[in-house]
Amino acid sequence: MILLEDVYFAYDGLYTALQGVSLQIDDGERIAIMGSNGAGKTTLVKHLNGLLRPDRGRVILDGVDTKHYSVAELAIQIGLVMQNPDHQLFLDSVEKEIIFSLENLGSSKEEAKERCEQTLNSLGLEGLSERSPFTLSGGERKRVALASVLATEPRVLSLDEPTIGQDARQKEKLAKMLRGLNEKGKAVIVVTHDIEFVIENFPRTVAMANGRIVADGPTNSVLSNNDVLSRCSLTRPQLTETARSLHSIFPEVPERLTLMDDLEKVVVKVLGGG
Amino acid sequence: MSFLEVFQYTRQDSVIHRLDPRAKLFMSIVLAAVSLLFLSIIPLLIIFICLVPIIGAAKSLRRWTRSMKGLSVLLIFIMIFNTLLSTQPNPFSHSVALTLRLVALMTSFSVFFLTVHPDELSQALIQMRVRYEFAFAMSMAMRYVPTLGQEAYAIMDAQKARGVELDKGSLLKRIRNIVPIIVPLIIVSIRRALSIAESMESRGFGSSEKRTYMNVLKFRKRDWAVVIISLFVLIFVVYVRLFVQLPTWMLWQIPV
Amino acid sequence: MTLIEFADFSFKYLGADSLALRKVNLKIEEGEYVVVTGPSGCGKTTLCRAINGLVPQFHRGYIAGNVIVDGKNTRENNVADLAPIAGLVFQQPENQLVTLNVEREIAFGPENLGVEPNEVRRRVEELIDMLDLEHLREKHPHEMSGGEQQRVAIAATLALKPKVLVADEPTSNLDPQSAETILDLIADLNNRDMTVVLVEHRLDLVSKDASRIVLIDKGSIVADGAPRDVLTMDLCQEIGVGIPKATQLYKRLQERGFELGKVPLTGAELATLVQEVTKG
Repeated sequence: MILLEDVYFAYDGLYTALQGVSLQIDDGERIAIMGSNGAGKTTLVKHLNGLLRPDRGRVILDGVDTKHYSVAELAIQIGLVMQNPDHQLFLDSVEKEIIFSLENLGSSKEEAKERCEQTLNSLGLEGLSERSPFTLSGGERKRVALASVLATEPRVLSLDEPTIGQDARQKEKLAKMLRGLNEKGKAVIVVTHDIEFVIENFPRTVAMANGRIVADGPTNSVLSNNDVLSRCSLTRPQLTETARSLHSIFPEVPERLTLMDDLEKVVVKVLGGG
Repeated sequence: MSFLEVFQYTRQDSVIHRLDPRAKLFMSIVLAAVSLLFLSIIPLLIIFICLVPIIGAAKSLRRWTRSMKGLSVLLIFIMIFNTLLSTQPNPFSHSVALTLRLVALMTSFSVFFLTVHPDELSQALIQMRVRYEFAFAMSMAMRYVPTLGQEAYAIMDAQKARGVELDKGSLLKRIRNIVPIIVPLIIVSIRRALSIAESMESRGFGSSEKRTYMNVLKFRKRDWAVVIISLFVLIFVVYVRLFVQLPTWMLWQIPV
Repeated sequence: MTLIEFADFSFKYLGADSLALRKVNLKIEEGEYVVVTGPSGCGKTTLCRAINGLVPQFHRGYIAGNVIVDGKNTRENNVADLAPIAGLVFQQPENQLVTLNVEREIAFGPENLGVEPNEVRRRVEELIDMLDLEHLREKHPHEMSGGEQQRVAIAATLALKPKVLVADEPTSNLDPQSAETILDLIADLNNRDMTVVLVEHRLDLVSKDASRIVLIDKGSIVADGAPRDVLTMDLCQEIGVGIPKATQLYKRLQERGFELGKVPLTGAELATLVQEVTKG
């Protein structure tokens, strides 16, 4: 559905951010993009909706090169929620914020109002529609920004660091919401450092370093690969640490476990057997 | 805009860099004053020739030449403009002199800005009895300007991703489209300012009139030398200008 | 010696609907490493700011009860007078570096309080050495990574020689590697007898070093004790606090009838405990 074909990009022609990146994203996928700061994650995601255009290579949406579309046109299909919600909130009510996005992308007033209500409900923001976003808490503002993009029902939703500053419960709710979107056939792409969040919710991980894709595949295998982890400056997930520690004492325990259920089974076996 | 380069601080070690900023300020002002006292080509050329080694001593000749090159188009334009509008008997000569004077003025001040670090400037102002809060506000502004710039770009990206089209539409529409950029920028800046204030307050800012300074500027012999020499030059030039009849060759003008 | 004492302390921000902190009672002794955690909006940030007086001097509102820090009442002393006792490190590194280079940043605090210039210089050198900042000495904040900036922010706070370091989610905006480095630094400072109060969500990284965990929910302290006791409470899950995965696994095994003896806080501890059980 979206294809990045050997994309090269340098900021100001000087600072190379992407070096030959190729990636395919299909409808309904859930992908996490991980890597150290400066690896090119956000740069990559900004190529999806045209905020940045490749210096070399192409970005192809449904068979058409995105260079034929403006950012606003692409925004209809590809939503991007940036890291800091305060970078986009400027109206005096939550409702107006969401309607603003909808009207920009072509909705009529009635349609906009209805979709706005639906979206607010789905994110637990009902009752806040008249409030000024500036009076809301940080977490609430993040959800309003998310709502304003969700309301436009893009085919692909990309989020840049959605879990920063969120507590465990908020992350769970976010994960649930993203899965729900996925079930409706939307693709969800997340740029994040939160390795636990990725392991629990994203089947596919793209690991980047120095503007290149180092690994692209099932999360469990990508994020338990030591070589990938060190090249992309990622810290080992907690459960993998546990698995490694267990493995050094009980060689029958696989080193590369990432899921709680799997680890539990293995430990029970070790204990039951002992 | 590359001509602004000549007013940017460069981190270097030179004789001029090591002088006290207050001495340099005085020197620059004297140099500028001297440039302003003349309107004939030869004296201005002499002044100009004296300025170049000072720039050289500041190890900034290359930067200065680059700036001058960048400025050359503007200078030619100024020259032509002045020639056409001048009421002097020899308009071209007059405008060449004016242009030379402009270059001399710029170079005089660039000596200061090239060699004085913003913190030094701040400290100099404080020691010249400017209130600490003002001097500090100035350096903080410099500190956060790049941050603010980045923030503005991030906001533009965020709004573009929502379908706001910043570069299309009628003039009226484009002006209205500034609102989604300016409002978040102001709000974000206010939030940032509060956060910065908390950090500063937590470290005792504004608490004591008896604030101390780790890097105190002290005048040394070489700084006094610069000040005294500059003073003499100023007195000498003023005297010459007021009381001495300049020889004819100094008043030479470009033949029409 | 009790360094910080909250006595029936309540606070409501001006214009807020509800109390941010309700009748909080808390004592922190010298040398402790206290981790404070809880769901978003629970009051942990307010707690931090109440220790150095920002609440109520900078953030006005309704206040009741007292906070005594090293014998000084925060309601009766200026933030500046409390600064040499409680140093606060905040979440955003960018907003804590207000000068154009590291030396000046570290000097900023002591200069503000009128410390004699030679002493200021001495402290700057000491901290640059202690926190490994030599390679950053002349750098502009813009030229540093988030982790480096936060390191400098900590140095700038330590320049006032506080007795307690209060850090409010210092790693939230950092990548995981930088986060670990900063938390290691904090643990190291505690080993050198600095009292630490740290607000942190990543309990897996800090509970092994912490001497105590305090849980806050809706402005009240709902749990306060040793990490191994607090993290096994069901309360954690109820209020939405994420415990270390090793501890989670321990609880799951417990539910299945397997008892490991001690509560593990890390994967390594869990492995050792499993080993001991299988041997015995």
